[in-house]
Amino acid sequence: MGKAVEFIKINKYFPGVHVLKDVSFSVEEGEVHALLGENGAGKSTILNILHGVYSEYEGTVKLHGETVHFMHPNDAIRDGKISKVHQETMVVEELTVGQNVTLGYEPKKGLFVDFNKMHKDVDEILSELNCNFKSRDIVRTLTAGQKQMIAIAKALYHHSTIISLDEPTASLTQKETEALFAVIEKLKKSGVTILYVSHHLEEIFQICDRATVLRDGEFITQLNVKETTREEMIHAMVGRSVASVADRLKPSPATDEVVLKVENLSNGKDFNDISFELHRGEILGFFGLIGAGRSEVMRTIIGADQKIGGKMYLMGKEITGRWNTTKALKNRIGLLPEDRKTQGFMNQFSNIDNISISSLDKYMSGPFLDEGKKKKNAERFFEEMDINPKKPDYLTKNMSGGNQQKVILARWMSADTDIIIFDEPTKGVDVAAKAEIYRLMEELVAEGKSLIVISSELPEAMGISDRLIVMSEGHISAELTDREKFDTDEILDYAIGGK
Amino acid sequence: MKHIFDKYKREIVVFLATIVMGMIFTAMNPNFLSWNNILTVFQKMVLNGVLAAGIMFTIITAGIDLSIGCTFAITGIAVAMCCVNGVPPILAIVVGLLIGVVAGAFNGFLVTNLKLQPFIATLGTMSLYRGIAYVVTGGTPVTNVPDSFRNIFNGKMFMGIRYYVLVMIVVFVIAHIILSKTRTGDNLYAVGGNEEAANLSGVNVFKTKYIAYIVCGVCASIAGMIMLASLGSAEATAGLTYETDAIAAAAIGGTAMAGGRGTALGTFIGAFMLAVLKVGMVVINVDSFWQYVVTGIIIIVASYFEFIKADFEAMLARRKNA
Repeated sequence: MGKAVEFIKINKYFPGVHVLKDVSFSVEEGEVHALLGENGAGKSTILNILHGVYSEYEGTVKLHGETVHFMHPNDAIRDGKISKVHQETMVVEELTVGQNVTLGYEPKKGLFVDFNKMHKDVDEILSELNCNFKSRDIVRTLTAGQKQMIAIAKALYHHSTIISLDEPTASLTQKETEALFAVIEKLKKSGVTILYVSHHLEEIFQICDRATVLRDGEFITQLNVKETTREEMIHAMVGRSVASVADRLKPSPATDEVVLKVENLSNGKDFNDISFELHRGEILGFFGLIGAGRSEVMRTIIGADQKIGGKMYLMGKEITGRWNTTKALKNRIGLLPEDRKTQGFMNQFSNIDNISISSLDKYMSGPFLDEGKKKKNAERFFEEMDINPKKPDYLTKNMSGGNQQKVILARWMSADTDIIIFDEPTKGVDVAAKAEIYRLMEELVAEGKSLIVISSELPEAMGISDRLIVMSEGHISAELTDREKFDTDEILDYAIGGK
Repeated sequence: MKHIFDKYKREIVVFLATIVMGMIFTAMNPNFLSWNNILTVFQKMVLNGVLAAGIMFTIITAGIDLSIGCTFAITGIAVAMCCVNGVPPILAIVVGLLIGVVAGAFNGFLVTNLKLQPFIATLGTMSLYRGIAYVVTGGTPVTNVPDSFRNIFNGKMFMGIRYYVLVMIVVFVIAHIILSKTRTGDNLYAVGGNEEAANLSGVNVFKTKYIAYIVCGVCASIAGMIMLASLGSAEATAGLTYETDAIAAAAIGGTAMAGGRGTALGTFIGAFMLAVLKVGMVVINVDSFWQYVVTGIIIIVASYFEFIKADFEAMLARRKNA
C-alpha cells in the first residue's frame, strides 16, 4: 500500500510563534492513524494545513504521492477528497439531514435543488453507515452522536479517501462511541484512511493502528499502537513518565462535618430523588454516563436551575425561598462548568476580569472599584497556581484549556468559596495540566474546602474521589464509600444501570 | 501611554476621523471653526448624546431599547403639563425622571421576568408608550411652558454655552464612572459578554439588566426634558426615530451590538462625529437629501472599521513572515 498523506519538513509560523518545526511524517493508505500530543503540540495546526484552513506554510504536503497545496477548505474537500469531522459537530439545526450532508453541493435539476435525488443518495450513505435516522429528518431532533454521523456521511458524499476526526467522541455517549468505532472499522476496510485525534488513550488503543506523537511543534516519534504500552505513549507525549495522574498523593483530610446535605432532590425531568451529603475536606466524585443528570443536579444546587421537590441544607441550615446563583455565591458555593467557552468565562474579558467577577466586593476603594487591587489579586493566583503564560491582562479565551480552567478556579478561590463543584474539570485538557488540576484539588481540600467532582472518565473519578456516587438515568445507583475498594467493572455496571 | 492607546484605540481613531472631517469642512468654509458654529455642534449633539449614553447600557447587556424616543415624548408631555399647571420646576423634573425609571423598569420586566427578546419587547413598548403619549394629549401639543422651567436647561452659562450641554457632559461622566469604576459596570459587561457564564459566576443577571433598562429610560427622560426646555412645548410625535441615531452613535463609538463591549467615551465621540457631520454639511451647503446619504455611508464605514483593522493587521503579519 502507498502513502495516503506525506508531510515533508512542514514549518508554520504564527505572529511571534514557531508552531510547527520541520515536521515530517507519513500516513499509510487504509490505516487508522492517531495524532497524539498535549494541547498546543501542533496537532490541530497540521490538520488545518492538510485541510486547507491554513494556506501559508513552508514544506510539502503530498496526497497519494502527489504534491498539493490547498488554498481553501473547499479545495481540500473537492480536489483532495479529504474531509474533516470536527470536535463540535457543525450542522445547521433547522435543515434536514440531507440538506446538511449536501450543503453547498446539492444535486441540481436545472435551476432547482433535486430533493428526491438528494434524499435518495443520502439515505443510501446513511444505511451504509447503519444509521437509524433518515435523510428527511430535521437535524435538531437528532442526538449528538447522530449529528456526528452527519459529518461522516458528508465525507462519504464527497467520496473522501482521507477523513480526519478531531476529538469525535467528546460529546458522545458510550453507546454512540461504539457505533462510531464500528463505522470507522467499516471505512477502514473499504480503504479509507483515517486520521484520529483524541485525548482518550483508551480509544487510541481500541481503534488505531499507528500513532504519530507531536510535542511543542516537533515530530517526536511514530508508534505501532499494538506494540506500545500506555506508559510509553504518555511518556512520548509529555516527555516524562506519568503514573495514573489522578491518584491522590496526600492522605485525605476529609472530616465528618456535613457542609452540604441534599434530600430527595428532583427537578421533575432530569433527575429524581437525589440524596447525599458532602463532608468538609472531602472530594466527592460523581460518576455516570453523559445524560445521567449529574450536571443538572449541580446546576440546581448552585441555583442556576430550580428544583421542584426535595430539600437542601448548607452547614445544617435549610435553604428556603427562591435560590439563585447570587445567593449561592454569598453562601460560598461555586461551580466550574463543563463547557468553559459557553459557560465558564466571558470572551471579551481579560484574565483579571474573569477572575474578579465573583468577588468584586473585595476590590473596592471607597465607592469605586480599584483596578490595581483586581490586578494584584489575579497576579497572586497566577503565581500560586502557576497559570501560564504569566499574563493576567491577556484575554482568557486565548489561554489553553488547562489554564482557562485554572483561571475559573481562581475566580472561586478569590470569592473564598467553601464548596467548589467541578463539572468535567479536565475535559479538553492535556495530561500535564490534568495532573496540575488534581494537585490543586488536593491543596483545596487540605485548606478545608469541600469538592464535588463530576467526571465521565473512570480513572479520574476513581483516582481523585474519597467517596464516589454513581448516577444512572437521573437516579443515584450507588454510593461507594471506600476508595480502596473502587472497582472498575462494578462502577460501570452501576453507571449503565445494570445493578 | 501605550496602555491608554491600546485601551481606547477605537475611540482615538474615531476622534481623529472626526477631526479630519472638521478640517475638510473648515477648508471648504472657514466659518465652520467659528465659536458660534462650535456651539451649534455641541447643542446639536446633546439630545442624541444623552439618548445614546442610555441605549449604550442596554446594548452592552446584549439588549436594545427601541422605546427611547417614546419615553422621550411622554416625559416631555408630562413635565410640560406639570409646569403649565403650576407644579414647581424641580418637582416637575423629579416627575420626569420617575417616568424614565418606570418606563425603563417595565422594559426590564419584559426582558428579564418575561424573558422576551429585547428587540421585540421594546418594539412593543415603543408603540405602547407612543400610544399613551397620543391618548394623553389627544394629539394636540402642550404649549406655553414657563421660563422658570426652561431656563434650568436652556439658560446660558457663559460664552453662550447652555446648561443642557453641561447636563449631557454630566450624563456621560456618570455613565463612564458606572461602567468603569463600579461593580455594576463589571456586571453589565459580564452579562453582555456571556449571560450564562455571568449567571454561573453569581452575577445577578436580573438586577443587572433592570439597571441597564432603567438607566436607559432615565437618559431618555432627561433628553425629553432638554427638548421641552429648548422648544417650550411638547407633543406626542416628539422623538420619532431618535432611537436610530442613538444606536448609530453608540455603534460608531465601538459599542458591540452583540453585547459586552462599549465605553461612555466612545459613545460620546460617536455622537460628536454625527453632530460634526450634520452641522458641517449644512455649513458647506450640502443638499439636505444628500446629508442622509453621507451619514449612512459614514455609519457603515465606521462600523466596518474593526474589520479593516483586522485585515490590516493580518496583512502586516503576512509581510513579516514572508
